[in-house]
Amino acid sequence: MKIIFAFLLIIFLAFSGYHLSFKKFKLPLFIRGFYLSGTEFLFLGFLLGPRLLNIIDNETVKALEPFTTFLLGWIGFLFGLQFEIKKLRRYPFEFLIGSILEGLITFIIVFAGSYFILTNINFLEDNLLLPAILMLSAAASCTAPTGLALSTTRLIKKHNNTVKLLQYISSIDGLIALFIFGLAFFCRTTFFFEAGPFYEIGKNALLYIGAGLGSVILFAILLSIRKNSPELILIAIGMVVFTGGTAKLLNFSPLLINFLAGFSLINLTRNEDRLFAVFVGIEKPVYLLLLIFLGVSWNFGTIWILFPAAAYCMLRFFGKILGGYVITRMNSEMKKYPPLLGIGLLCPGGLALAILLDFQKEFSDSNISLLAGMVLISVIYNDILSSNLLQRLFERDK
Amino acid sequence: MIQPDPLQKNLITNFLFLLFLTLFAVMVNYLNKEGNFGQTGYESFALGFLMLAAYSAAQLLKTVGIPVISGYIFSGIIAGPYITGFLDLEMVCKFSLIDDLALSFIAMTAGGALKIESLKKRSRAIFLNTLFQSIMVFLFVYTFVIFTGHYFQFIQNLTHPQIIAFAVLLGVIAIARSPSSTIAIINECRASGPFTDTILGVTIVMDVFIIIFFTIAMTAVQVILTESCAVDYLAFSILFCAIAISFLIGGLLGKFISFYIKSAGHDLALLLLFISFTVSKTCMAINPLMETHFNINFHLEPLLICMCAGFTVQNFNREGKLFLGTLDRISLPIYLLFFTLAGAALDIKALRMCWPLALCIAMVRVFGIFTATWLAGSLNKDPVKHKKNAWMTYITQAGVAIGLAQIAARQSREIGVYLSTIVLAVITINQIIGPITFKIALKVTGEAETE
Repeated sequence: MKIIFAFLLIIFLAFSGYHLSFKKFKLPLFIRGFYLSGTEFLFLGFLLGPRLLNIIDNETVKALEPFTTFLLGWIGFLFGLQFEIKKLRRYPFEFLIGSILEGLITFIIVFAGSYFILTNINFLEDNLLLPAILMLSAAASCTAPTGLALSTTRLIKKHNNTVKLLQYISSIDGLIALFIFGLAFFCRTTFFFEAGPFYEIGKNALLYIGAGLGSVILFAILLSIRKNSPELILIAIGMVVFTGGTAKLLNFSPLLINFLAGFSLINLTRNEDRLFAVFVGIEKPVYLLLLIFLGVSWNFGTIWILFPAAAYCMLRFFGKILGGYVITRMNSEMKKYPPLLGIGLLCPGGLALAILLDFQKEFSDSNISLLAGMVLISVIYNDILSSNLLQRLFERDK
Repeated sequence: MIQPDPLQKNLITNFLFLLFLTLFAVMVNYLNKEGNFGQTGYESFALGFLMLAAYSAAQLLKTVGIPVISGYIFSGIIAGPYITGFLDLEMVCKFSLIDDLALSFIAMTAGGALKIESLKKRSRAIFLNTLFQSIMVFLFVYTFVIFTGHYFQFIQNLTHPQIIAFAVLLGVIAIARSPSSTIAIINECRASGPFTDTILGVTIVMDVFIIIFFTIAMTAVQVILTESCAVDYLAFSILFCAIAISFLIGGLLGKFISFYIKSAGHDLALLLLFISFTVSKTCMAINPLMETHFNINFHLEPLLICMCAGFTVQNFNREGKLFLGTLDRISLPIYLLFFTLAGAALDIKALRMCWPLALCIAMVRVFGIFTATWLAGSLNKDPVKHKKNAWMTYITQAGVAIGLAQIAARQSREIGVYLSTIVLAVITINQIIGPITFKIALKVTGEAETE
């Protein structure tokens, strides 16, 4: 019974809350940023979770795992659907290179920093070390345009070019993050270390591609006939659940496989706009449910966790600043953008959180949950900082 | 250039999809067994597979005129624990969460589909059908079991009073209909007209009356089995009280939905899903609570609550159209999952055990329905086409009958196993045949929209 009420409660909170969270309240900027990103739902999840009220206990969390798979799959699929090559071509090629470069630079810096710290403090078991570092750096690479939603229309119009670049980077750099995160799953078998990483990477990559391709072929067949809206909803749910389940059975990330399926479908089939509308339709409730699930398993552990979280935040901050600087100095075309572009890219967004949830579900360990708790705190730091820093960026943008 | 026939294209596409999906699933399962891969995803994998396979199979069967809900049910039977075992019993039980949600949701749709004007027009037909069906179906099944029961090996061991009790309960359960199947087929055929209105009205009215009949039957059974003459009048007052409260809650809920549509309006589908789920789960929590803490059989009926909510929105507010449109938009995944899981839960083992008796009871029940509808149609001066075909629409049976059989089995342990086995077997037959005959009847009477 507890499972049912817990489920009801979280659905209700997500439903009732998203309108509150995504409406523009006339509150001070600092608090508005907090509301806009839906961060309060993290705290709600924490409140309901086993560490406080225990309404959603560990047993409940386990019983709702298929639902978590669905959420992750939905986010991955939606992210894939955003990569419509036809639409991406409308932007300059430098944008694409710049976005990938920015994501890679952030990844390298956070990877190096995390590697240095985690290998020296003996915090995680050997087989979890590499996946954890990959998760940290992947989550750090992601950016969301949430801060832009806070800005006034006048400001956005005034800095139209910079806003366009920021939006473009926000929607592309997650790609690097997802692929890096996918690598973390390759290390799950002990065989990985015995047979050598390259053998295992090759084998798993083939399986990934095979599973992704299989799903795509299946859905392309199904979507080859024009479907009405209810049928599309059904197919979308079926697709996501089936692909997510397949990924989990094969020890892969439901997020990544669904991304691959979404990406391929949007570029291969004729129903792209309608399919996209179906997925976007419940994007926000899905995002808030994700926050609640993360909050439930949030392990705050000790107050000292605030410091490694700040360090992680700093690493990410440095990565973004450097990434932003490099891409704005890439060629003459890009030089017209402010060199401190990175301070506009601090909001981590939903994909980073989905990566975190996926990682937590697949790599369960008490220290991993502490690590995930640390990332969540850094997300809050970023949410607090990002909107203010974005305003600064606009001030500097000539 | 020759354009491919859309029907042929549909057939080929769905066949190919089903073939590839099965191959893909087999391959994933094979890989999963070969390596040390995780097991946690099996539920999601099975659920996703079931949704897509059932959808595709139903589309294939639709091309030969079989209703899509039959397609879902057949897919469920094939995937279920008794044929391929793709879904085992434990997993089917785990998915019962979906069942409860779907049932309340469908009840809301049924309530929303009822319009006072058409009910008023068909009130005489609804009254006559309900009256005759309640009497005839009960009498036919009861008499059949009393006179021929001892010829069937399955219930040979029962004593005479036990056979009487068995016949009474079976007779009452035979009256139960499946509102979910009714509303699903009417929606699928986009049927409308006096014939459809009567069926819908009778099914819903019967859904209320069956609870009263069942309580009377249970009291009678207690008297028969314990040989005492004490009639529990308190049980009746509690029953009427529970029904009245269910109606009241439903009405209030309907008003709330209307208020929400008027004042907010966004994400109505999510709200309706949430309400359906909450109603069914709250009732499930309250009912045992009343039994254990207050020792009374106070059962709030989630189906009545949701039906009444739907009826209120449709008939006492201006938001009916939007409400029904929203329900319609999200109904497909819900119907599909509900009927596929219902198919998986159909007890083929029970049917194997007692199929001669089950088949006979199913036939006697159909005969009872035919007599009742013919009589009602004649008295109401319905067209011959309606009189001749109405029986075909009342065959389906599902959740309500199963629920009643379970309550009866729990309360009269002497005949409980026999009763639940035979009811499950009869439901299996009715649920396989019922939707097909229903669709035929709607087509023959000309109330189904031509495809």
